[in-house]
Amino acid sequence: MANRILLIEDDERIRASMRLALEDEGYDVLESPSAEEGLDIFSDNPVDVVLIDLMLPEMDGFECCRTIRRSSGVPIIMVTARSDSHDVVAGLEAGADDYVTKPFVPKELTARIRALLRRTRATEDTNSTISVGPIEIQPDAGEVKVGGSLVHLTRTEFRLLCELAATPGKVLSREQLLERVWGYDYFGDGRLVDVHMRRLRTKIEGDPANPTFVVTVRGLGYKLAA
Amino acid sequence: MSNDRERTWIRVPGMRTRIMAGFALGAFGLSVVLSFVTYELVKNQSIRSTQDAARRQTFAAANLVRSELSPPLPADMAAFLNGLDNPSGTLPLLYVGGRWYSTSLASEATIPTGLREAVLNGTAAFQRFNFNGHPELGVGVPLPSVNASYFELISLADVAHNLDILLVSLLAASALTTIAGALVGRWATSRLLAPLTETAKAAVAIANGNWDTRLVANDNSLIDLVSSFNLMVEALESRIRRDARFASDVSHELRSPLTTIETALQVMERRRADLDDRAGQALDLLGLEVRRFERLVQDLLEISRTDDGTQRVSLEEVEASALVLQCLRTSGVDSSLVNVSESLAGAQLMADKRRIERVIANLVENAKSHGGGVVGVTATKAGSDLVVYVDDNGPGVAPDEREAIFERFSRGKLARKRSTNDGVGLGLSLVKEHIRLHGGDVWVEPREGGGSRFALKIPLAKT
Repeated sequence: MANRILLIEDDERIRASMRLALEDEGYDVLESPSAEEGLDIFSDNPVDVVLIDLMLPEMDGFECCRTIRRSSGVPIIMVTARSDSHDVVAGLEAGADDYVTKPFVPKELTARIRALLRRTRATEDTNSTISVGPIEIQPDAGEVKVGGSLVHLTRTEFRLLCELAATPGKVLSREQLLERVWGYDYFGDGRLVDVHMRRLRTKIEGDPANPTFVVTVRGLGYKLAA
Repeated sequence: MSNDRERTWIRVPGMRTRIMAGFALGAFGLSVVLSFVTYELVKNQSIRSTQDAARRQTFAAANLVRSELSPPLPADMAAFLNGLDNPSGTLPLLYVGGRWYSTSLASEATIPTGLREAVLNGTAAFQRFNFNGHPELGVGVPLPSVNASYFELISLADVAHNLDILLVSLLAASALTTIAGALVGRWATSRLLAPLTETAKAAVAIANGNWDTRLVANDNSLIDLVSSFNLMVEALESRIRRDARFASDVSHELRSPLTTIETALQVMERRRADLDDRAGQALDLLGLEVRRFERLVQDLLEISRTDDGTQRVSLEEVEASALVLQCLRTSGVDSSLVNVSESLAGAQLMADKRRIERVIANLVENAKSHGGGVVGVTATKAGSDLVVYVDDNGPGVAPDEREAIFERFSRGKLARKRSTNDGVGLGLSLVKEHIRLHGGDVWVEPREGGGSRFALKIPLAKT
């Protein structure tokens, strides 16, 4: 079955051209010119990936992201105007998994989508429970329990935790994490890792400001304290 | 042009020097006049009082001589004259009976002729004169009752000595006053120039991009200068910001259509095989130009970001050699051309990876389009800097263009002659901008054996 993409973009021509390009890549595309309509479509249809332009009339892309995140861990890619603005971090904080910057080459976008979809399915590999301290990870069910209670992680957060848990106590650099989770090369945006680590901490750490499990190793990367 | 100006420039001393000189000159003139007046007054006064005293003394002595001079004349006239008990420095002379008498120290020849004749003709007189280079006062009194004339020669050396001391003191005071005048002048100039110094500092700060720099008026007489300066800065700032925003707005507006064009183009390129030959060729041209156009817009966006000051440098500590190798790999430089010095082992630097990647990509791109491709890349450590050389085999860069090629839309004369020109003229200016943000430097030099060597230098992190 074809993966379904929800495209929320107010520019009609970009939307039309992207539909053509994405359909060429074998995706099923649902379109919406506004956040409000997009949220309606999202609640009525199963969707595998959401593409949101941050600059939308009425409700903006950030709010749209947050609204989706309240009910779903679906992969979200945001389309931003600038890669070096605060928009990127704000969008990631709002719950986006990845971003592309206009003008983008469609190949770049489909590469990002594929990496996200891989992330979604990567949980099929193992089915044994991984335990690190009070954290229990069940890769096959995609579930994480901290101290016995279930926490809801997005796919990206879950994959990050799995990567760290695979080698407890060993430091993984941002580049390694970017490559393994997002499929980026050396020049991937380190902020992706940082923001998602922050979000992960708010979910599994007792005191996110003083993390005891997901630890930052200055100048090197992150590790899961064994 | 600046050379011409320097040549025709007649050097006028600076305002500071002129005001200092003015104050010094004024102080000098005033003190010299005052000294002169003082000296003259004191001199006249002291000479007059000396003369009065001398005359009184001479008349008193003459009276004594007259009363004593009743015949017979004293046998030892010198002893008699010595016995007059004159103050030291006074030499008595007596002319009586056609003969001159004196103490051993004086002779009648010493007495100026005019004085002598006047007295011998029966008039009391006095005269100042120099004897052996010493100032002397001669006073003569005729004594007709005893048919004699009495003279005294009084040394004025003490008075002259005192006047000399006074003169030296006054000159010294004048010199000190002149120096003090110059110092006051300097102090006054620095007070006077303080607002100008402030203005100059503010101008430099503004030139460095600190647009919120303003002057503060702490003196009422400067309010005009300060407010017009601040007005000028505001006008300039808003104008520059408007220009920068315009460039940025234009580039932003281009994003959306460009996204549509690129996306639609890719859809068409997938179907290249379905097109007839001519349509296919046209599509290829379209593709090439759209990519070039996209690069131009990206560069413009980046430039406008640096211009409106909203660029964000996300520095992180990275390993120098790894960064260079990754950049070269992304830019498609064959690893056999790359030479990374062992001196870089373990060296770290604070870098915005994305910007450095753009820098290397632009240098490689430049070598491809203007220098016949990269023939070698060397990364090494020089002092506390990372230095990367990108060598090409092209025609080189003329010495007078080596600065200019790092300016916007400058492509060099040689490049303009080319039939195909992929450079968009912003690449090297962006290189310079990115490197500047890293506190480094970029330049071009001729390569040994022909071609150009583009060099960049970035400070390494301190270990």
